[in-house]
Amino acid sequence: MSLPAFLLLASALFAVGLYGALSQQSVVMVMMGLELMINGVVVAGGAFWHHVAPARPDGQVLVLVAITVMALEMAMGFAVVTALFRAREVDVTDEAGDLRG
Amino acid sequence: MSVLGWALPFLPATAGGLLALCGRRADRAAPAVAVVVACVTLALAVVAAVTRPVVRAPFLEGLPVGMAIDGLSAVMVVTVAAVSLAVVVFAAGEMTAARFFGLLLVFVGAMLVTVTATDLVLLLMAWEVMGAMSYALIGFWWRDPDRVRSAGIAFLTTRAGDLGLYVAAGAALAGGGSLALAGLADAAGPWPHVVAAGVVAAALGKSAQLPFSFWLSRAMAGPSPVSALLHSATMVAAGAYLLLRVEPLTAATGWAAWLVAWTGAVTALALGAVAVAQHDLKQLLAASTCSQLGFMVLAAGAGAVAGGAAHLVAHAAVKSLLFLCAGAWLTSLGTQSLPGLHGAARRDRLVGAAFVAGALTLAGLPPLSLWITKDAVLTVAAEESAALYVVGLAGGVTAAAYAAKTLVVVLRPVGTERPGRPVSVWEKAPLPLLASAAAGFGVVVLWWDAWGRLTGDAGTRAPGPGGLAVSGALAAVTMYAAARLAHRVRRPAVLADWLLLERGVHRLVVSPVMGSARLLARFDDTVIDGTVRATASAGRRLAGITDHRVELPLDRIVRDVGRGVRGLAALARRPQTGQVHTYYAQAAVLLFALAVVVVLAG
Amino acid sequence: MREVAFWVLAVGAVAGGVAVFAVASMARATFALLVSFLCTGGELLLLGLDYLGTLVILMMIMEMLVMAVFMVMYMMNPAGLTPMSMVHNRRGATAVAGLTFAALAAGALTTPWPERRGLPPPDPSRALGAAVMGPAMPVMMVIGVAILATMVASVVLATAQGRYDRDGAR
Repeated sequence: MSLPAFLLLASALFAVGLYGALSQQSVVMVMMGLELMINGVVVAGGAFWHHVAPARPDGQVLVLVAITVMALEMAMGFAVVTALFRAREVDVTDEAGDLRG
Repeated sequence: MSVLGWALPFLPATAGGLLALCGRRADRAAPAVAVVVACVTLALAVVAAVTRPVVRAPFLEGLPVGMAIDGLSAVMVVTVAAVSLAVVVFAAGEMTAARFFGLLLVFVGAMLVTVTATDLVLLLMAWEVMGAMSYALIGFWWRDPDRVRSAGIAFLTTRAGDLGLYVAAGAALAGGGSLALAGLADAAGPWPHVVAAGVVAAALGKSAQLPFSFWLSRAMAGPSPVSALLHSATMVAAGAYLLLRVEPLTAATGWAAWLVAWTGAVTALALGAVAVAQHDLKQLLAASTCSQLGFMVLAAGAGAVAGGAAHLVAHAAVKSLLFLCAGAWLTSLGTQSLPGLHGAARRDRLVGAAFVAGALTLAGLPPLSLWITKDAVLTVAAEESAALYVVGLAGGVTAAAYAAKTLVVVLRPVGTERPGRPVSVWEKAPLPLLASAAAGFGVVVLWWDAWGRLTGDAGTRAPGPGGLAVSGALAAVTMYAAARLAHRVRRPAVLADWLLLERGVHRLVVSPVMGSARLLARFDDTVIDGTVRATASAGRRLAGITDHRVELPLDRIVRDVGRGVRGLAALARRPQTGQVHTYYAQAAVLLFALAVVVVLAG
Repeated sequence: MREVAFWVLAVGAVAGGVAVFAVASMARATFALLVSFLCTGGELLLLGLDYLGTLVILMMIMEMLVMAVFMVMYMMNPAGLTPMSMVHNRRGATAVAGLTFAALAAGALTTPWPERRGLPPPDPSRALGAAVMGPAMPVMMVIGVAILATMVASVVLATAQGRYDRDGAR
């Protein structure tokens, strides 16, 4: 339960989430990868609060913000997928390469 | 009295200018206007001769110009005005162009300024105007290219002599700082010699002395009134007048007086001989004019100002009379060559009588005017040198010879009377007056001292009775001999062709000038123009070379640079796949690198 | 005891994360993610963050259920009856992820972390609430505005047609 252990856990979660964001074609799967990444951030934030500065609430505020971001990000992501599907009848990121060039 | 001083020359000049400008429109009124203006001018001249006005005007800083009528100028002014009136009246019967009368009156104005000017500037300006008017009047019938060429030769020759006046003006300015005619002899150093040389050259050129005499032969291409006024009585006499005016200067620089005197004497003799050999009446009279002017020039050189002035006045009357008669015969008989004028004097009695009177005066027969005035000159010349006297006497002999020649021709009784056109009254009107003036001017000898004071030559010697007797006898004998021997003697070609003067000048001066002009033109065309053209073509060739050798490699370089940049741009576009995961990967790598940097740096 | 719980939860979280991308069925992937999140919530509880841990657990349960609905909507293989692997750039992703884990782990293990300063308050949740209502109020306000913005934006993006399109104006 030491700080390095928590950070190790956070790094693992982050790495797995990164792998998913980079390798998945489906938008929803990409979002799952992003959720995992933020998961790692949450764990790291809590660990830092507990092991470095528990007297101040700043660590908790950071975790709160990260959780909120998770929720917001998922909402926006699904809205974008819906719009994309309605426009092009696809749900994979490979088809949304309009910015190419 | 300054109004009179200005009005005298500028009235005829302005009237003449207006007439000339009006051109064809004023043709009907021109003769009458000209006659009236000439009358008024004569009246003004007489009044001016009595009242002697002096006028001044500023010209340049420290160089005022002015006109003054002293004794010599008074004589000249009255002479010029009187002869001009006579010629204008004659021309009223012959010419009908306003341009002619205009030019004639402008000339009269210029001549009046010349004889009254007190400084070189005004004199020079009037001198040039006279030359220009002479050119315009000789070439009056400009549609004839021969007449125009003759006018050009006359103008160029006199103008070449006029350069002397410019040199003299410059030298006078350099020597004394003043251009007044009266003070020319007072300059210091070598300047008076330069001034004298310039003035002598200009005067000899204008008076058609040797070696300039050939232009007067050419000037006979103009109408008869022009010959009568310009080239016998007034313009050619201006040279002699100038020499008389600056006689103190030529006397101060001794060589000038000697040169002038001998030039006059030799011209009198040589041109007299040329006159004897002429077949054309006007050419004969022209050569005679040169010869008589020689006497006036001799007078100026010898210091006989009174005698020279008297000869000038008498000659003006005589020669203008003779030319007017020749003009009358030209219009009535259609010829001016001696073989065609046989018995011309018997056709129209008035013209014939006037001509005979003039010819006898010209011969120097006593008691007519030229006998007296010529001897006045020769008397003073004899004091200078006996050789001058002998040459002058020989000149008088030639005068008698050619006068006799003309008389023989025109008085010959001709059997068949060729009908000639009648001579108009205008043409006949001035002849008797001129004849009486010509014949009777000799009476001046009775008041010789007063004449001497009038012309500024007080104390001059009157012609002695011995000299008079000698010259009178010589004239009579020569006339008789010439009348007898006229047909026996062949005329030498040299004399007939005016001593080959024109040909000589052409070969010595004109041909080299034209040749060098041609050389310079060729130089200009090949070298200067060639350089310009070569520069242009070299520029064009250089442009072509640049186009091939320089432009293409530069183009290639530019294109390669563009291609390189485009390649780099294509490379830069490769990461923009449009795929989200690629962007994530790139962001992750970049952040990783940034973290490494931060860790290493901090 | 707590140490064991920590490691168990840790392994569970990582395994759940890996399982998300390993299983073929979409429903299973969703629930694997839920497991991961639950373990994370447990970790937070272990740290003494009661409120935050409970928040994570509850939120993530609701979130995963919503996500399951969307999964079924948008993915063609919800039951996982056929093996499916829709990946691209797997090798590159693995490399990047591996490198990231290695770097972060190295950093975590080697960095001299500072000493603990102070003790946790008796009620961390109360302390968080007081902070959010006081010194950290901008955080609360921004989050509130962000949530509102997200609601509006997602509705805008997700509607098929606006009120201007209904009458055939397009």
